[in-house]
Amino acid sequence: MKEYLISMFIDNELNLDEKIDFVKTIHKEQPFKDEALALLEQEKLIHAEYLHQAPQIQIPMKQEPEKGFSIPWLWPAALFSTGVALGAAVLFMLPTSIPIAIPSTTVSTEIPHRFVIYRPHAEQADIIGTFTNWQPLAMEKLGPSGYWSLTLNLPEGEYQYSYLVEDGQQITDPTVSERVQDDFGGENSILSVKV
Amino acid sequence: MNTFREFYNDNKDRFFGYLLRRSGDHFLAADTLQESFTKYLERYGKGELSVSLLFTIGRNLLNDNSRRQRPSIPFNEDEHRSEGDEESAFLVREESRRVLDALQQLDPDEIEVLSLAVNSGLSYKKIAEHTGTSESNIKVKIHRSRLKLKKILLASEL
Repeated sequence: MKEYLISMFIDNELNLDEKIDFVKTIHKEQPFKDEALALLEQEKLIHAEYLHQAPQIQIPMKQEPEKGFSIPWLWPAALFSTGVALGAAVLFMLPTSIPIAIPSTTVSTEIPHRFVIYRPHAEQADIIGTFTNWQPLAMEKLGPSGYWSLTLNLPEGEYQYSYLVEDGQQITDPTVSERVQDDFGGENSILSVKV
Repeated sequence: MNTFREFYNDNKDRFFGYLLRRSGDHFLAADTLQESFTKYLERYGKGELSVSLLFTIGRNLLNDNSRRQRPSIPFNEDEHRSEGDEESAFLVREESRRVLDALQQLDPDEIEVLSLAVNSGLSYKKIAEHTGTSESNIKVKIHRSRLKLKKILLASEL
């Protein structure tokens, strides 16, 4: 059956051959023509203007900072002067007999990142990536919604990952446009975590 | 930032239409519209702006059952009033409500693909990627959803 050509016509998905096929069928088969017209009328209802106007909302878009008066070539000198003054103040306040403690560790901050994949027919979904040493990590099924989810705490950095779904099929994250080729002819998604 | 503003202006109406058709709830759609753009800006605003990603964020938010208390966004009917007299405006609103109610009677995956086809501007290929199915499956599914909607609308006229 060529019935789905009607929806493809409505959604501007027909290639030239399919357009020829569509027009020929319209002229040849009255029921097909009637169905096409009925669905086009229905489409007008679905596209009603009333259902297309977004309400006024507030998005917290920050404005670019105002550029004030500044002399860039003076910055190093200013920073140096400030550093010298602060250093002198610290040295003045410290008793000379107490050694200065130098912190040996840095603070590590991790950001929770939620991975979500829509796979309604999968019986299992895993995630693999540089953050799991490419070992599969099971994702959690979100009830009957068809979604699988997993939240991981990740430090700042760039990561590669993919999902393993039906029969071990490896797929990239459809919501992430940045991808990279792997060594096996496949692709991985790229995630950048910034603290 | 201007780029994001353009992205917002270019997509807000059709994205809202998608959210409204998916949820059948004007307030929830308006809330999700705001939350989606805010989340997009916070997390992905500096990268390449993707319509597909925006719709995915919206879909995920609608599907998120653990939604917390939402800010109330009043529905200003004047903004949505059609041209013409009161009676014709009323009829347009009633008809739109009938279509929206009929859409909600489709299966969730049918609402999803049809709303994407109607509103997102995404190709069938992109919709297939977005929903994790094949392109050939999508074109059949979209058409069947339209036919089912037609039956529901006809039944509602009786």
